[in-house]
Amino acid sequence: MEVEASLILKSFFSNLDLSKDEEQHFTSLWTLKSFDQYDIITEAESIERNFYIVLEGVQAIYVLNEKGEKVVLGFSYAGSPSGVFDSFVRGEPSKIFLEALKPSKLLALCKQDYDEMFKNHLSFYKWGHLFFQDVLFGRLSREVEILTLTAEQRFVAFMKRCPEELKVIPQKYLASYLNMKPETFSRLRAANVY
Amino acid sequence: MLDYLKICGFKSTTIFKRMAKLFLTPENQIQRLNIVLNNVVSLQELDTDMLTNVSVPDTWSIIEVLAHLNIAYGPYRNQLDEAISKMTDSNEEQKPFRARTWQKMMIEMQRPKGTRRKWKMKTMKRFEPLLDRKNIGKEKVEDIFREFFELHCHLKHSILKSRNKDISKIKITSGIGPIVKFYLPESFEFLLCHLERHMVQIDEILNQQKVLTQ
Repeated sequence: MEVEASLILKSFFSNLDLSKDEEQHFTSLWTLKSFDQYDIITEAESIERNFYIVLEGVQAIYVLNEKGEKVVLGFSYAGSPSGVFDSFVRGEPSKIFLEALKPSKLLALCKQDYDEMFKNHLSFYKWGHLFFQDVLFGRLSREVEILTLTAEQRFVAFMKRCPEELKVIPQKYLASYLNMKPETFSRLRAANVY
Repeated sequence: MLDYLKICGFKSTTIFKRMAKLFLTPENQIQRLNIVLNNVVSLQELDTDMLTNVSVPDTWSIIEVLAHLNIAYGPYRNQLDEAISKMTDSNEEQKPFRARTWQKMMIEMQRPKGTRRKWKMKTMKRFEPLLDRKNIGKEKVEDIFREFFELHCHLKHSILKSRNKDISKIKITSGIGPIVKFYLPESFEFLLCHLERHMVQIDEILNQQKVLTQ
């Protein structure tokens, strides 16, 4: 594994308590996967086979509404986890797509190895506990924003926290994520309200 | 075209009734195709008797339905490969494709309405499964499933490949014949609706079998 990839992996799992040999074994479980812009990494109604850590690029997770339009649930980018978690954990198809919005490189851990890590390492349970806690808090926070803030407030809150690499993806994805029309997003952006 | 539709039983008023636009996206088509593929995967677990049994005279068994679907894809396979190979790459994300009026009509004739198959029509002779009902063993059944997955994975790959292509210049001939030509998104939608229609038929067959064994 390349040094940069290894550092990203180590940083993501910084609270994982492994011996040197265990760490080496853990690193060896990950494979590098590359995707072109607009490649579908995971299709809706297929089973997610991997837990991903993003090395490069931006990915969107979305569902399709009744009109077939993409409703964006979230993004992943360098250093963040990725994948269709519900399908990965349950081993069943879900309605969620994962798509590369920019050329992407992801490290992938397959379900069998992911489960083995839980089985063989108590510290992986500790990592998992904190990780899913963070995911839950993040989703709650987003739910509150979506339900209680005005369009402008949602826009400002998002643009303040969003990494630079997200700001250059097509606006319609950001608009969808913020539950507003692309025209509204465009107007707010042009007004430079953040 | 109008005469053809009238022969199929359409009234003039019905033909022009629903002019609502039909926008097609490859993501929607991929999701629906995966549902069909998952459905057929679960059919593989049924025993050979259930798959080959004809519970109502003059109807098909489940395996005959799948064989028909394999035949129905036949006219499209090479055309899709050829069309995609000739298409130029597109650097932009593909916009939803608006199906044309007549093509939309042909598509809607196939699309099931919930759990019902409307516009029941006689299968064209060249698409009939023609299996030897007395001689369909496990091996033949497995062959038909294998072919189904091979062909419909080809369909999925065609949809995926077309996402990065300029699909606005090339048309292919439908399985019905040159009376209907499709742009690729229209052909995908037609094939999908046809698949979904026959999944409804398979559900009907399974329900009939359940009633008979009670």
